Amino acid sequence: MSGAFDTYLHEVLMRGQAEARAESSATIEAHHLLLAMAAPEDTGARAILAAAGLDQAGVRAALRREFEHSLAAAGVSAAAFDLRSTPDPERRPQVGASVKLALERLASTHRKKDLRPIHVLLGVLQAEVGTVPRALALAGVDRAALAERARELL
Amino acid sequence: MSVKEPADALAAVVALRRLADQLEDAAVEQAMRAGWSWPQVAEALGITRQAVHKKHAKRLIAAGVELRRRA
Repeated sequence: MSGAFDTYLHEVLMRGQAEARAESSATIEAHHLLLAMAAPEDTGARAILAAAGLDQAGVRAALRREFEHSLAAAGVSAAAFDLRSTPDPERRPQVGASVKLALERLASTHRKKDLRPIHVLLGVLQAEVGTVPRALALAGVDRAALAERARELL
Repeated sequence: MSVKEPADALAAVVALRRLADQLEDAAVEQAMRAGWSWPQVAEALGITRQAVHKKHAKRLIAAGVELRRRA
């Protein structure tokens, strides 16, 4: 199944890159992959996320809430800034540390030939700390239960 | 800063970096639309004019912003 995994990972990374670009981010991070996997055109993880009540708008809202919550912890209000800008269509955000960690976790626990598309979601959900687990917790989503449902579909 | 939990403090660092990236794109675009030059924007940001030009010129040209070379 490694062919299907590679194809799906590439698709998710490309959509994640577009999300990173739109956010003025120099890197593709795990939360960009989560947005990519919740996209309507996703073929691997979208249904699992949707069953947990997370469509792409829901993921975006959860990430927005985490962003505002974390800024507020430093006494900063995101609403105080006009952050509108024109994205650079040629900017190519590169794979960031949180995505590398998610992929390394998969590589250390699975043989390459055993990897299937759903493992991309599992790799992202396995992070115990960082933007994704914080956003899911704030949205009231049980990350461990979500990962378990994904595992059952393998 | 009154962040008690390490998780909140660390997440605040990440969120502030994201905010800074988004704010840089927005602020540079607003300044150039207001008629600032590359050298002025570079000096205000504390980076070289080559760096600011390399990072922002293409998207501002794509956005149709009229760019001034000199102050």
